Amino acid sequence: MKTKKELKLNHRKMVKAERNVKILLFTAASTTIVFITLITLFIFMETIPVFLNENLRIKILFSQVWAPAYEKYGILPLIMGSIIVVAGALVISIPVGLCTAIYIAEEASESLKDVFKSAIEMFAAIPSVIYGFIGLVTLTPIVAKIFGLSSGKNAFSASIILAIMVLPTIMSLSSEIISSVPKEYREVSFALGASKWQTIKNVILPTAKPGILAAIILAFGRAIGETVAVLMVCGAAGSMPGFPFFFDAVFPMTAAIAMYMGEAPMGGELYHTLFFLGLILFIITSIVNTVADAILKKSKSATSGGIEI
Amino acid sequence: MNTDNRRRIKDNIILSFFGIQLLMLLIILSYMVGILIIGGIHVISWKTVFTSMLKGGLFETIIGTFLLFSGTAILAAPIGLGAAIYLSEYASKNNKIARLIDQAINNLAGVPSIVTGLFGYTFFVKILGFGISLMSGWLTLTIMALPIIVRGSEEAIRMVPKEFRETAMALGATKWQAIKDNVLPTATPGIATSIILGIARIAGETAAILFTACALTMRGLPRTPFDPIISLTYYLFVILVTSPSTSQNKAYTAAIILLSLVFLLNLVAIVLRAHYRRKWRR
Repeated sequence: MKTKKELKLNHRKMVKAERNVKILLFTAASTTIVFITLITLFIFMETIPVFLNENLRIKILFSQVWAPAYEKYGILPLIMGSIIVVAGALVISIPVGLCTAIYIAEEASESLKDVFKSAIEMFAAIPSVIYGFIGLVTLTPIVAKIFGLSSGKNAFSASIILAIMVLPTIMSLSSEIISSVPKEYREVSFALGASKWQTIKNVILPTAKPGILAAIILAFGRAIGETVAVLMVCGAAGSMPGFPFFFDAVFPMTAAIAMYMGEAPMGGELYHTLFFLGLILFIITSIVNTVADAILKKSKSATSGGIEI
Repeated sequence: MNTDNRRRIKDNIILSFFGIQLLMLLIILSYMVGILIIGGIHVISWKTVFTSMLKGGLFETIIGTFLLFSGTAILAAPIGLGAAIYLSEYASKNNKIARLIDQAINNLAGVPSIVTGLFGYTFFVKILGFGISLMSGWLTLTIMALPIIVRGSEEAIRMVPKEFRETAMALGATKWQAIKDNVLPTATPGIATSIILGIARIAGETAAILFTACALTMRGLPRTPFDPIISLTYYLFVILVTSPSTSQNKAYTAAIILLSLVFLLNLVAIVLRAHYRRKWRR
């Protein structure tokens, strides 16, 4: 038999061990805060010279050409490049993503649903360098041939590849959100004599609208941050793309960072300019994620507040 | 009756149009992957896989990718699991710090990999002085793998029924003992899934390691963690951007190896997850 004293000592040891474990786990969890703080801090810090150096600021903001070899650091063509490519990608992927998501959520049988979901997941897992490779060997020659261009490396090809890459985001999130619309909504609508499509159009989609919006916003965030695949098929030209934009070679912001960071001397003008681009991307994606997250949380609490059986 | 029929036909047309879109999308995607496999299957040879790059093989790139994701997993898995246990078992929902951590994970997941790469370059490569090296690559990629591992493990741990904890604690176990002996073993398949998905993500990553871990001038395998490496993704990227025509055969081989690796990892993850989800959701 243990004495009372021994038991007490044992108990104290256990309490101490519990506390240590909790501290250890908390430390692990706080590394995420440390990382995001460090990233924010350093991306901002390395951009400060851009704000202080008037000469560089003028070069960056008012030059129409991006040609670091000639010390031309105009970022307007890069921003235009990003906008064109991302807009093109969303124009393709939103309708296709929504229609297919509706089919998966509303029409496919349970077992088929799992197959589709796994397939989407597999395609989402394909590395972006592989998408770039595929785009290079299959897509760009076709684009060049159809439109009679000398090279298929342009904004159009980049948009298509990007659309394919963000489709899984739209499809999986939207189909999940459509599936989570309570069954009663459908039953009530059917009972009132609505057809399946009428129910989808008038009942399910309006209910799922915020969630679908969040999916699109997240897809936008992914598209604007995508680098390698886009760089490989965009044509990488640093001049202002002219109307109608899509058949010009472009140079999105991410592609410029990937292309020039390796050769930018630390602390030089190019270096800080690239960090400025990084900052723009960082701010955009942070806003995008916060907004999407808020919408998703709100819509989740809204649907779970409904009838549940 | 007539309008009813017409409506049904309209329904069928619309929904089958959606179905056809889905089918076409799957066909296009399979075609793209198929072209890669067909183009590569007759040029791939085991000899290239085991021959050094100095002699025209791909050996270093495969070892590089392996070193990159295994080191990252060793770093990210314990941190991610710890964070997941903290969030699911210890932090109360309205705890301010817990919400901050939650927000931090969401934000980390949304940072574009090229921006993570920029950060890795200034912080790990330059300021901490690790140089363009395996070590800088591990640390940079840890940032990317963490959100995946935390979210997946959290889900797996939350799925373990409450009774598992209560029974153990009723028998006199402390909270941590209950977690360690009852909850974690039950959640292991789910935790493993999240780590595998994290690894798959890392194995396919290019942008974040472009200027943190990889260099083309490298000769042979890295000797210390402070040597640069070449990964499959980096190798593919460089030859496709600089000289796509001259080394197409090797590009196909590297692409097929990379794709098989990522597909295999994801397949394992999908099967594992399907298994434990079926077990715990009724």
